[in-house]
Amino acid sequence: MSLDRPGAPGLGLDIRPRPYLYLSVGLVAGAVIALQICIMRIFSVGSWAHFGSLVVSLAMLGFGLTSAVMCIAKSWFERHWHGVAAASLFLFGPLMVAANLVAQQIPFNAIFLISDPMQKWRLLENFLLYMLPFLAGAVFLGTVFLKAQKIFGRVYFADLTGSGIGGLVFLGAMFLINPDNLIVIPLLLWFVGTVLWFEAVDHRRGSFWLVACAALAVAAHFTLPDLLDIRKLAVSDYKGVAYARKFPDSARVYERASPFGYMEVYSSSYLHFAPGLSDNAAFNLPMMPPNAYLGMYIDGDGPSGIIRDLPPNETDYFRYLSMYYPYLIKNAPDTFVVQFGGGLSASVALKNSKTVTVAEGNPAVLAAFQGDKDLRDFTGDILHNPKVRVIDYDGRLYLAYTQNRYDVIDLSLADSAGLSNPGGFAIVEKFSYTREAMRSYMRALKDGGVLSVTLWNKEEPPKSVLKLYTTMAAAAHDLDGDISNRFFVAASYLSTATVLYKRNGFTADEVEKLRAHTRAMSFDEIYSPGLVYDNAKTAEVLDGYKNQIFFDAAPPGDEPKDEPPPDSPAEGSDPNQPASTVPATTMGQLTWDRLVHGGWDDIARSYVFDTRILTNTRPYFAAYVRPADLPRITDRLELFQDEWGYILLWATLAIACITATSLVALPVIFGWRTIFSHYPGKFRTIVYFACLGLGYIMVEVGLIAEFILALSNPIVSASVLITGMLVFSGLGSLVSERFLDRARQTMPIIFLAIGALLIGYGLFLDRALDFIGTFNYWLRLVFCFALIFPPAFLMGFPMPTAMTSLARLGKDHMFLWAWGINGCFSVIGAALVPILATSYGLSTVLIVSGCAYLLAMMAFFAVLLPLGTQRPIEAAA
Amino acid sequence: MHRRTFLFSSAAAVAGTLLPRNAGANVPKPYSFDIFPPTNSREAFIGWMQSNRGENPNFLGLRWSRYEVLLRNKDLWEKRNTRAFLMTPREEFVLKQNLGRVYEHDFLDIGYGVTISGPHLVSRMTSTIDVKLGEKVLEIGTGSGYQSAYLSNLTDKVWTIEIIRPLASRTRGIYDALIDHGYSEFKSITSKNADGYYGWEEAAPFDKIIVTCGIDHIPPPLLQQLKPGGVMVIPVGPPGAQRVLKVTKEQGPNGQMTIARSDIYNGKIVPFVAFTKLEGDVIKGTHNQ
Repeated sequence: MSLDRPGAPGLGLDIRPRPYLYLSVGLVAGAVIALQICIMRIFSVGSWAHFGSLVVSLAMLGFGLTSAVMCIAKSWFERHWHGVAAASLFLFGPLMVAANLVAQQIPFNAIFLISDPMQKWRLLENFLLYMLPFLAGAVFLGTVFLKAQKIFGRVYFADLTGSGIGGLVFLGAMFLINPDNLIVIPLLLWFVGTVLWFEAVDHRRGSFWLVACAALAVAAHFTLPDLLDIRKLAVSDYKGVAYARKFPDSARVYERASPFGYMEVYSSSYLHFAPGLSDNAAFNLPMMPPNAYLGMYIDGDGPSGIIRDLPPNETDYFRYLSMYYPYLIKNAPDTFVVQFGGGLSASVALKNSKTVTVAEGNPAVLAAFQGDKDLRDFTGDILHNPKVRVIDYDGRLYLAYTQNRYDVIDLSLADSAGLSNPGGFAIVEKFSYTREAMRSYMRALKDGGVLSVTLWNKEEPPKSVLKLYTTMAAAAHDLDGDISNRFFVAASYLSTATVLYKRNGFTADEVEKLRAHTRAMSFDEIYSPGLVYDNAKTAEVLDGYKNQIFFDAAPPGDEPKDEPPPDSPAEGSDPNQPASTVPATTMGQLTWDRLVHGGWDDIARSYVFDTRILTNTRPYFAAYVRPADLPRITDRLELFQDEWGYILLWATLAIACITATSLVALPVIFGWRTIFSHYPGKFRTIVYFACLGLGYIMVEVGLIAEFILALSNPIVSASVLITGMLVFSGLGSLVSERFLDRARQTMPIIFLAIGALLIGYGLFLDRALDFIGTFNYWLRLVFCFALIFPPAFLMGFPMPTAMTSLARLGKDHMFLWAWGINGCFSVIGAALVPILATSYGLSTVLIVSGCAYLLAMMAFFAVLLPLGTQRPIEAAA
Repeated sequence: MHRRTFLFSSAAAVAGTLLPRNAGANVPKPYSFDIFPPTNSREAFIGWMQSNRGENPNFLGLRWSRYEVLLRNKDLWEKRNTRAFLMTPREEFVLKQNLGRVYEHDFLDIGYGVTISGPHLVSRMTSTIDVKLGEKVLEIGTGSGYQSAYLSNLTDKVWTIEIIRPLASRTRGIYDALIDHGYSEFKSITSKNADGYYGWEEAAPFDKIIVTCGIDHIPPPLLQQLKPGGVMVIPVGPPGAQRVLKVTKEQGPNGQMTIARSDIYNGKIVPFVAFTKLEGDVIKGTHNQ
């Protein structure tokens, strides 16, 4: 048996390879990807992003399900392909609208996921509903692949390129359309794709019905919500913005949709901000300034306080904020504020500095503060103040490469109000807090300059603050041998923690001044040069925290007496007794003692949570629960509500593994001894496509996270990667056709090149991206696309080469199944990336992907085995 | 969920939905701080409460079961706190759809993005501030109204402020309806819809303050309205895993005020409370046993 060349006689195509066909496939594939991003945006704005990731990841299993069904009922699909393709296309668009409208009415409330048994079913309903349109899209694409399998390379090119461009179109649309109407973008792509499909198959009457169908879908999306009094995007009552909307005097003063988030600003007299305010302010200040803030919300999360231009007599309270510390010992400094946010840090800096340089990496925030008249008036046009210089990209990147030096560098509470996030925090990259970033800040200080980092300290047992401490100490160790006089650390229980690092160390006078201020503010001193830690409490604190979480038994209690029992928590509750040091303070002191004087590793191993440092390859304030402890927390998940983003990753991975394996197993159960009995090398073929599915998606998702280093924004990074990867791989797929006849010789080289590139990227990419981040944004995009091109182009080869080979060898069932295996393992890979990244780092993700491609190389030759033989064929000319 | 729990809860839920809301009981005997329900047995408690308070025996049974767990967890520290828990009809303050789970340890949705805290947190927090008869207590964040109802069984001077207007009206309506049905203790609760940040200056100073809403700092007006020697408690963190911040205000010999932050356990690390498991009306140790 020989492999046919595309277009050669005997190709046996059922669909004529006209341009309309490719365009149609591309647009429908684009609609699929746009719908994915759309659903994730809907979840980000309406509830919590990580639930969107879960739903979308699992909904993509629709591709695996379609493949399994088509594989088992192949002949039926072959007979009815025309009707199947038309029906699935007709359904795809209306199902998007219907699924979304119905899903938005389900009272799914993430925060009750554990406590309310109904919520699990509501999450499942969300997943099943959102899977419906993906199923329709998958059936269409699967049918086209089946009927055009011998020109798979070209169809695959159209599929990938269309997906990539779909992502780009969606990115552009996010500038123009609010999140509740973004679904019109996949609808539009579907509509045009379907019209072209009917052209491709000469079924023009279908277009008439399609117009009616599309009109109905659009009308339903825009009119049904009003007619039926239902919501097309239900915002959870527990989102920050939902509270602002309920304040009696609240008014939205700014709204802008963009890929950088859906930004809203509300005014209300009920908004009060003073993060980390000392309690002693109550007795030393005449009053807090009223109506001092607007509340800024991005994707409904917040608020971040936007501070009014306060007259001098109303700024006295700045002194009581924890971010004030560096100005105690630096007089009229040149100050750098790493992230502008809502402007509080910049305002405090402006009041106390000679000059202020302020950076902001979110263009939407800068556009609002620099362009909107109301916001400019409210803030006193702070960003155009003559003392202020604005850096319009990440402060982290600027400081890494600038020759300028500063007396004070401030990174304070870069996140919003830090109120608890009951639905949990999504796993997001925090590159501003990594060891590399801290090193850059420390290097950018003048002699005697002070770096001040303030973080929310609202966890008990402490988690993120310990990561901050260990990261800053590691960065300081990189620069100085002895760090014992470099730090001063203060915290307020369940409020904020501030770490000061001074280049060349603090003087005795400065230490005394800082300690006096700490006492005056009633803050807790966590570390200062010379502070002696009492080691007697170490074991008690470490054991206590472990028992707090992994408690095994409650002692039986007696009936309450008129006085509290001596061993009860009430002991010493007499307010006249001095309060003891809280364990979190002891833990902080212990941490710094060991970080400075040695022995931290032993403590870290004994601590209840993982507090490893943040690095550019593992930039997460997340994954505090050690993987080995996960089975022990399944009965107490409520205690980890702020980590549900992370725990959901494991749940997604587990569900993806079980479901994907089941789907892959379906054809095995139904056809291992029948359909596939004469297919040689089937196990290795499975391994091949599994590796491709796993490897490709891991590179894509891993690079999305890593490219934020240069692009500063996760949505832009996702769009660049989706577009770049898919379009370049599509090109690779197209070019691969030319090498099909020499696949046995060329593919090993391609695989080796992919493996080497990915492993190389794993080892060195972060440095390149760090450097690229300093250029103009357009240049950054160009460089990023240039970095994506080599692996993406080559990664476009393996899939179409193998699929076309299967088709031309007549291994039709395997062809369909392979597509499904690839899809299922893509879902597993997508779920695996954040888990690998949080535990082992993004570089590991790329290295594992590289290894997957090298493994695929070894399995490749099984794909080429012709039916009924165990020997690989010679690729025929 | 175990079958027994399910059946029992369902029965309670059905019973609850059949009851007219806010009229779950017609209290047959007048209220006084001297009356104390028996705690020697479930039957005695239910019988006494039925004859003295006219409450639904299903809910009373659930309340008793949770009381036993609260004791085991040492969430009720003194007899008057025990009494306050046993005398407060939590079922009147939850949404109909949650009646079946009203005495479970979970926090429950009450609409408007607000939850009613679980009985363990409410009991432990209230035990902490050690409210005595006659003391003035201010609550910021009325929410469901349960916390103030609980407090009104400890003192006759309770003020409560809710920021969300429709929720404030709804809860006021619940109090008024219950007062009409004989819960005269709720007359001690004065409520208003306002911004709790500024406290309640006309009624200040307070002996105790409970703040049950999220904020990035303690409002200075509240610290000013707390009496010297007074205690304030604030739950911090996501519902279900909240830590309670305890704030005490002291006046030094020179008249200078100081504020101390601590946990409610005075430096002890105690296990989280949510693990004690109740199956039906039987305590089954902890969730991980």
